Amino acid sequence: MNRGGTRAWIRPVVALLAGLLFFLPIYLVLVNVFKDGSAIVSNPVGLPVPPTLDNIQSVLSRPDHLFWYGLVNSTEVTVISILVITAISAMLGHYLARSTGVLSKVIMVVLLCGLMVPPAVILTPITEVLRTLGLMSSVPGLVLAYVGYYMPFGVFVFAGFAKTIPRELEEAAAIDGAGAFRAFWQVVFPLMRPASASVVIFLGVWIWNDFLNPLIVLGPAAGTTVTVGIYRAIGEHQADFGSVFAFMFLATLPILVFYLAFQKQFVKGLTGGATKG
Amino acid sequence: MRIRTLTRPDGSAAAPEAKDTAAVRPQHTPARRSSRPSRRFRPNGGPGRFALFAAPGLLAYLALVLVPIGMTAGYSLTNKNPFNPPTRWVGLSNLTSLFSDDDFLKALQNTVVITVIVTLVTNAGGLAIALLLDRRGWLYNALRSVFFVPVVLSAVVVSVIWQAILVDDGLLNSMLRQLGVSHPPGWLSDPSLALYTVSWVIAWQGLGFCVVIYLAGLQGIPQELHEAAAIDGCGPLMRFRHVTWPMLAPAVTINTVMSLIGGFKAYDQIQVLTNGGPGPGTTSTLAFQVIQTAFNGNHVGYASAMAVAMLILVATVSVIALGWLQKREVSA
Repeated sequence: MNRGGTRAWIRPVVALLAGLLFFLPIYLVLVNVFKDGSAIVSNPVGLPVPPTLDNIQSVLSRPDHLFWYGLVNSTEVTVISILVITAISAMLGHYLARSTGVLSKVIMVVLLCGLMVPPAVILTPITEVLRTLGLMSSVPGLVLAYVGYYMPFGVFVFAGFAKTIPRELEEAAAIDGAGAFRAFWQVVFPLMRPASASVVIFLGVWIWNDFLNPLIVLGPAAGTTVTVGIYRAIGEHQADFGSVFAFMFLATLPILVFYLAFQKQFVKGLTGGATKG
Repeated sequence: MRIRTLTRPDGSAAAPEAKDTAAVRPQHTPARRSSRPSRRFRPNGGPGRFALFAAPGLLAYLALVLVPIGMTAGYSLTNKNPFNPPTRWVGLSNLTSLFSDDDFLKALQNTVVITVIVTLVTNAGGLAIALLLDRRGWLYNALRSVFFVPVVLSAVVVSVIWQAILVDDGLLNSMLRQLGVSHPPGWLSDPSLALYTVSWVIAWQGLGFCVVIYLAGLQGIPQELHEAAAIDGCGPLMRFRHVTWPMLAPAVTINTVMSLIGGFKAYDQIQVLTNGGPGPGTTSTLAFQVIQTAFNGNHVGYASAMAVAMLILVATVSVIALGWLQKREVSA
C-alpha cells in the first residue's frame, strides 16, 4: 500500500537492482560466449562488439564430437526416462489413490521415504545391480536407474491429483465395457494432464542436468551426457573460458527452451501443493 | 442412477467387500437402502489389476532403490573392496571407526555448515525477494523469471560460472584489483574461505526455488486479513509479524525441508569448484566423501558404512524438522 505515491519508485528500483545483481553471473556467460579469448581477458564485463561465433563453432566442430555425442545421449536418456516414469508412476499413483487397503498406505509411505535418499548412498549397489542385469555403461541402464529413483516423485504427484478426478467417470467407462487398462489410458490419464505436465517438466530438468549418475553409470566407456561433457571440457582447457562458456551455453539451450515453453506449468506444478500445505 | 451390479472383465461378478461402507463412499452419491446387497464398483479389484498397474513401478523401485539400500546396509558390515578380495565380515567395526575418522567427521561438519548456511540464506533472501516482488506488473513478472533461471540450470553449469568469477585471477578479483585491492582474497584457494564460497554458490542456485514458493504463499493470504490488521492500527512491521509470517508457515516448512535435503545431497558443486580441497577435505561433504571412498579408494565396505550413517542422519533430521515445522503451522 503506498500512500500518496511519494515513495512509489523505491520498490521497482530496488527490485530491479536486486534482479540485475543476481543475474550478473549469467550475463557474464552470455556476453563472453560471443567474444574471442583476448577480449574476455581484457574486458570481461563489456558487451561483445563485434560478436563472434568462433567459440560456438569450435565446440560444434570438436574432433572428438564431445558435444554431439553428449547431446544425443542426453536427449535419449531424458526422453525415454520421462516417458517410462510418467506412464508407470501415473498408473501406480492412480492405483494407490483409489485403493483403500492398508497395504497401499504402507507402499505410499515407503515410496515417500525414497524421496529423501541421497543418490550417493545407493550408487555403488546400483552399479552392481546394473552389472548383474548386463546394463552397466549403457543408456538403458542409466534410464533404469532414473526410473527407480524418480518414480516416487511421480507417484506422489499423480496420487495427489487422482483424488480430484471423479470416480463416476471410471465407472461410466467400465459400464461402457472398457477394461481397466483402457479405462485408465482413455479416460483417466487425459484428465490428469496438469499432473503429467509438472512431472514431465521436473523430470526433464532434473535428468538433463544430472551429473553424478551419468558420470558413474555411463562411465568413460559409453560416452557422456552434455553435463558430464562440460565437466570434461573444463578439465582440458582450464583457461579457455570462451569455449567452456560456449559448451555450457549450447548444453543449456535445449532445457532452457523447454523450461520457457512450459514456464507457467512449471511454476504451477511447483506451487500446487505449497499453499494448501 | 446407481450401479447395482458390475462384472469384471473376466466375467465374474465383483464381490462385495466388507470394507465398502458408506464411509468410503463419495459424499455426493446418496446411499439408498435396497433390499438386495449393494455392490459397488471397485476400481482396484483383483490381483490382475495390481499386476497391471502397480507392479511395474514397484518392481523398478524395489530393484533400484530398496535392494540397493539393503545392499549398502549389508556391505557396511564387511570390508568389501573389489580390488582386494576376499570380502570378510567385520560386523559394526566400520560404523564405530567412523566416530574416530577425522575425514568423516570433517565431512560431517562441512555438510552441516553448508546445510545451515544454505537453508538460512535461501529462506531469508527468498522471503525478502518474494516480499519485494509481490506486486502486479510486467517488471515483477520478468524479475520472477530471472530469479528462477538458476533453478533450471545444471549444478555443474552454475559451478563453472562461479568458478570463472571466483578463481584467484578470476573476474571478481581482477575487478577488485582495478579498485585498488592489492591482495584480493582467494575465494576458492583459501582453506578458511572455500567452504563459505561453496555454500554461497549452492544458495545462489536454490534461492529462486524459495522465491517462487514464498510468492505463492504470499498470494494465498486473504487481503481481508491485511485490511483488518490495518484497521486495528497495525503498521507494516506488525502486519508482517502477525499476519504474513504465521500465514507463510506451510511455505517455510517446504523450503526448509527442501533446503535441508538439498544440503545433504551437495556433491556436484564440490567436485567442480574445489574437488574437496583446498587442502585435505576442507570442503568435502558426506556425499562427496562416500563417492570418493567407494569409487576412488575402492573401500566399498567402509563407504557403505558412511552411507548408512548419512541415511540415518538425513532421515532423523527430516523427520524432526517436519514434525517441528508442522507443529508450528498448527499453532500459528
